[in-house]
Amino acid sequence: MPIEIPKDSWAGEVRTVSFGATAENGGTRSKTITVGGEKTLPFLQFEVPMPHPPVIALEIKDRRPDDWSSLLLETWGDVVDDPGEWAKAAEEAGADLLQLTLSLTDNEGKPAKPDDAVAAVKKVLEASALPLIVMGPGQAEVDNELIVPIADATKGENLALGICEDKNYRTIVAAALANDHLVTSRAPMDVNLSKQLNILITDMGLPADRIIMDPTTGALGYGIEYGYSVMERLRLAALQGDAMTQLPMMVTVGTETWKTKEAKVGEDVPEAWGDWLERSINWETLTAVSLIESGADIVVLRHPESVRRVRLAIEDLMAVPEPA
Amino acid sequence: MATHTVIFGPQGDQVDVPTGTLLVEAARQANIDLQQPCGGQGRCGRCVVKVEEGAIRQRSSLRLSQEDLDKGYAPACQAVVEGEAHITVPPQEKIERRLTTDRVVGDVQVPAGYEPATAQSIQRIPLSLQPPSMDDQTDDWSRVQRALRQQADIKEVEISPSSLRSMGSALREKDWQATTIVDTRNWRQPEGTARLIDLIPGHPDDDAPMWGLAIDIGTTTVSVWLVNLLSGEVKAQVAEYNQQIGRGEDVISRIIYASKGEGGEEMRGLVLDTINELVKRACLRAQADAGEIVKATIAGNSTMMHLLLNIPAASIRLSPFVTAINHLPILLAKDVGLNIHPQASVDCLPGVASYVGADITAGVLSSGVDSSEEVKLFIDVGTNGEIVLGSRDWLVTCACSAGPAFEGAGVQDGMRATKGAIEEIWINADTYEPSYRVIGGVKARGLCGSGLIALLAELFLTGVLDKGGSFDTSLETPRIRKGEHGAEYVVVWAEESGHGEDIVITHVDVDNLLRAKAAIYAGFTVLADKVAVPLQSAEQVLVGGSFGKYINVEKAVEIGLLPDMPWEQFQFLGNTAIQGAYLALIDFEARQRIQEIAARMTYIELSADNSFYEAFTSASFLPHTDLKHFPSVAEKFEQMKNIQPAEVCAP
Repeated sequence: MPIEIPKDSWAGEVRTVSFGATAENGGTRSKTITVGGEKTLPFLQFEVPMPHPPVIALEIKDRRPDDWSSLLLETWGDVVDDPGEWAKAAEEAGADLLQLTLSLTDNEGKPAKPDDAVAAVKKVLEASALPLIVMGPGQAEVDNELIVPIADATKGENLALGICEDKNYRTIVAAALANDHLVTSRAPMDVNLSKQLNILITDMGLPADRIIMDPTTGALGYGIEYGYSVMERLRLAALQGDAMTQLPMMVTVGTETWKTKEAKVGEDVPEAWGDWLERSINWETLTAVSLIESGADIVVLRHPESVRRVRLAIEDLMAVPEPA
Repeated sequence: MATHTVIFGPQGDQVDVPTGTLLVEAARQANIDLQQPCGGQGRCGRCVVKVEEGAIRQRSSLRLSQEDLDKGYAPACQAVVEGEAHITVPPQEKIERRLTTDRVVGDVQVPAGYEPATAQSIQRIPLSLQPPSMDDQTDDWSRVQRALRQQADIKEVEISPSSLRSMGSALREKDWQATTIVDTRNWRQPEGTARLIDLIPGHPDDDAPMWGLAIDIGTTTVSVWLVNLLSGEVKAQVAEYNQQIGRGEDVISRIIYASKGEGGEEMRGLVLDTINELVKRACLRAQADAGEIVKATIAGNSTMMHLLLNIPAASIRLSPFVTAINHLPILLAKDVGLNIHPQASVDCLPGVASYVGADITAGVLSSGVDSSEEVKLFIDVGTNGEIVLGSRDWLVTCACSAGPAFEGAGVQDGMRATKGAIEEIWINADTYEPSYRVIGGVKARGLCGSGLIALLAELFLTGVLDKGGSFDTSLETPRIRKGEHGAEYVVVWAEESGHGEDIVITHVDVDNLLRAKAAIYAGFTVLADKVAVPLQSAEQVLVGGSFGKYINVEKAVEIGLLPDMPWEQFQFLGNTAIQGAYLALIDFEARQRIQEIAARMTYIELSADNSFYEAFTSASFLPHTDLKHFPSVAEKFEQMKNIQPAEVCAP
């Protein structure tokens, strides 16, 4: 007897969001990233095929990071001293796109200067033609000070700019509006707060298909259940027709994973924890794959090996089984 | 271009103006100064005039109900002259509306069909006794009992030792003509033993009053009504701040104060002083003798009730939040400490839970929610917002801790609704300049609850605040500036204020107000969800509490404090607690109904409810994260956005 698999159909769908302008669109990117467009829950290909697979970004910095795990620094080697070289290496490692996270201070500990930030972004854009997300260091005033000149200097490239938060979004949204960029909207693990920020941003006149939401999350063992559940509820709300949640989601998996004790500490830990590097990569991969299953469209990673493993998982999840 | 004659009544001034002239402009030419606090945007409705006849086209009628439109009302700033017209200008609103304490409340009507003889539990019964003789050596008290049985059908009656001591002389003073005052029944003994309150010599005039008190002990204000129990008429209404305020603004801080050392006794003394002072004032006004007051009915929240009797209230504050007692027995005035007849019955009305007290059960009674066929929503907004949803078939209730922000506390320039408080405010959407009205018509010293609600709504609609409550610091106005606590908006400059300092609303204030209104609205949604009744299906929203009397519904809806429903569905009832206490005082059936109300109300503890936090975050936005709840505000917001010059344009 043939088994009929019941299919759900939903009233709403996630918006399709694209960024990264190629030459024909007035930019210099080699391709455009397109995410979103889901009409059902992730990977339920038998209901409605997922139009765009999740994509993988690698995170790079504008200078040698002070607080990154030594494992990451060893893996990347000397390229971390030059954002252009690092971008090139990340592209070779198989990333779909890059995220450049700006530092709060320069190598000597002095406050970051807008000119230097612009120079770093330009270097990255010249070295790699991948679409790019640029994130400020995460302090409202510094973010605004650095992102505005970057938005001006990269007009036409169609970047995604952050960090927009509920108490600091106007300046970056205005800069994105004026220079054909997108923004990322970051809210602390709460459906309503995510939605509220998206409302605030669209109220300024930025179309919703130029917003990627970052619902934030915790790493495996550090609150991933909560992050997972918030993303799942955001996606369910989107499918039920709630316009201000119908946006693709990005998660900064690398940032979260590489600050856990399991990834950070290599000595004086129980032997059962196994090999430090293997453990760290597993941690990043499992966090990423879990969140992809809750609806993440962009995962931002730090280790090249994680990119390879997450990519394999996405391919498996995207495969449409042959009808029996 | 054609000109038309416009006649303004009642003065009869007339002007000739060309087609397309705004009525405000025509009025100006006729030397009539129409107030336009909103800057002529058709938002405030203060310039409304009546078009008696003639050709007037309305550009917008945002503010007016269909009923008003049908009657010919039009905002003059939105009305365009297209032909001859005859206009009536209503008298401009009087500025001074009220003073805080001792507000003159409107005349209270004795309920229609009220029969004191049957409804009043306290009866004054003149007795003509057979004097004792050698043939009839019945003791005095039996003689009185017998007379009561024969002349008033009172089968059993109790007497106190102090009454016994004075009985003999009182009986003999007017030759066995005496009058008894008897409490015939109470909530615990609806049919049982009566109690003698007093026995006085002789027979009073039939129209001599018998006095009773309705008392509402509010956290902020205590109100007392002096009532003639023989007719049900209210003879004096007085109110004063609860003297406990000096020991804490809200119930929590008062409980804490009362828990320490002699704090409980001090709190009891303070509220008794307040009440006794008010009783004295009311008696003076009605030429009554406080010693002749034979009954008092008291409403008040559970904490106030505990503090009145110095019953430890600490458990109200601590999980699992229980009271010592929700329904007190009938007490004697001498035991409570009221300076009225020592044997007077003091009836403290029943509460439901720690945060839904007798003020709410009394409010439900007087608002009639419990007997309504349709579902009604009753709210009492104060430091705590208590909410009741239901009909004659069911009642649910909850209390949300809104905090004292709407009472002016916890806000930098907040104040109570006294002289000098800004109570209403409008902000011009082009210049961001405010215009406002101050209680008492003096220079402003701060903002009271209704002023804060209006301010929040105006800041939001004019785009000074975004929906998340953050100031748009990029706007071109010196009024938005960086203050000590982040961004702030200057409502009144120092040189125009009553105390020579700037009056501002800060970013922190806005957050506090947002939280307060979110707590209340979340209470609505959780309550409605619990019983699966859509909030909008409530036939009426009844707003109690003296605070509710002065809030502008439109603004309260704009900020998402009250549900988005047509104005006609809101009804402001004033102090429903004292109205309920009054009904219970004069009508035993009403008193019994309060008890049923208390028993019928299902209390939902929000702190134990998972959905509250979600509802709260969702409501912590202007007006709400889910605009579907606020369709009229969404529409207005879009209109306002179109009026404003676009500051940033999409490429």
